[in-house]
Amino acid sequence: MLEKEKFFIEVGSYQNNKFNNIVCGDCVLLRKCVGENRNIVVLSDGLGSGVKANVLSTMTASMAMNFRVRHEPILRTIKAIMDTLPVDSVRNISYSTFTIVDVDSDGEAKIVEFDNPPLLLVRDNSIYKIDSNEIVIKREAEGEHQDERVIKISDLKLKKEDRLICFSDGVSQSGIGNIDMPFGWEDGINDFVKELIEKHPRISARELSMRIVKQAELNDILKPKDDTSCVVLYVREPRRLLICTGPPFSESKDKYLAEIVNLYKGKKIVCGGTTSQILSRELKREITVNIDDIAAGLPPSSQMEGIDLMTEGIITLGALSELLRKGMNNNVQGEGPAWEIYRMILDADIIDLVVGTKINVAHQDPSLPVELEIRRNVVKNIAMLLEEKFMKEVRLKFI
Amino acid sequence: MLNVRICVGTYCYITGGQELAKMKQNLPEEIKNKVEIIGSACLGCHENEGVAKPPYAKVGDVLLEECTEDKLLDEIYKQLGLER
Repeated sequence: MLEKEKFFIEVGSYQNNKFNNIVCGDCVLLRKCVGENRNIVVLSDGLGSGVKANVLSTMTASMAMNFRVRHEPILRTIKAIMDTLPVDSVRNISYSTFTIVDVDSDGEAKIVEFDNPPLLLVRDNSIYKIDSNEIVIKREAEGEHQDERVIKISDLKLKKEDRLICFSDGVSQSGIGNIDMPFGWEDGINDFVKELIEKHPRISARELSMRIVKQAELNDILKPKDDTSCVVLYVREPRRLLICTGPPFSESKDKYLAEIVNLYKGKKIVCGGTTSQILSRELKREITVNIDDIAAGLPPSSQMEGIDLMTEGIITLGALSELLRKGMNNNVQGEGPAWEIYRMILDADIIDLVVGTKINVAHQDPSLPVELEIRRNVVKNIAMLLEEKFMKEVRLKFI
Repeated sequence: MLNVRICVGTYCYITGGQELAKMKQNLPEEIKNKVEIIGSACLGCHENEGVAKPPYAKVGDVLLEECTEDKLLDEIYKQLGLER
């Protein structure tokens, strides 16, 4: 039997609006199908820019995503999209591009491309264009002319340390008309990516997508001429993060909790005053509270040897959940414990949540704000967001 | 140096501990060098008693319930043997 090597696929994306536009005309959707171990990424670019483009691309991307999730045949998907897209009143065509990447945890990737710049595969520090089959889809349009679309379909087996990079034409056409790139960035992207990966061989998908979009912005001298989006998939050894919160239901499990924390291989976060005290007692390590760190409006974080971050529990987790709900923010520079957890989460692939389920009776006082929810609910909510929105692998353990 | 522990656990923090934690910046001049304000992740008080009375703070070995800035300063002055 072939030895199956399981690996993790990190997905990161970054977007920039056309100069002076408040919405992006491109749409990036990410979805992790938990039961099937599939990661699906859709990038769509709507005709034109602004709200109209945003509507077109969002509709295309959501349709493509939902059809894909249900394993609908690709032809049916595309026909449905073509039939649904409204006809642009100015240009008299209905149009938006898309790229669908569907990867399972064995690295089998199915890629469907329509009119976006070709996807790049980075393997062993070289860049490959992917071989693909072309399919022509015809559709009777109103009037004389026929609507013809050429779709590229490819299958690919990904290996560890591979990266797939896909972007909208805002990236490949950035800098058009500049003296050093009269026809846009085009193949310059390849050199840029190669150089970047040579310098930072372990650069994360998130960082790489951001650097590409930022460079496209520079090519346009900080006034992007089109919406620019980039999505990167990176197959890598998973980075692990442990988030521990809440005292165990039974005190006899305190030792067990301390053991989990002590033996864990990866970054460690502890959320909760009582939990911190338990660890301090069991591991015989001192806690130092950073009492000056109160600017963020959240209880201050603390320090303990061997723990990367130690914070208060339920208020901080509530704030974190709110950050996660707001979604993949371009700007991750916020201050305070919740932001610190958020940034650590973004850098991790597998997140282990160990949740003590002892109810803190004091928190049930009716005069306290409702935000003091039961820990289990808050954590469940966080776990759901991490899986569906951030495509992390989450393991939840209640003790 | 007199140790003053201020609890910044959830319950204490939202019932006034937040304000107590800020005291470090605005201690009166005459006691500034005699007191060390330290945070505590949780003093574990709400479990010991029947009815919790947060926020808690500890001055030396004396535990203060339903602590306010005023109460805290009173206790600090008392333990330092100063008039307030």
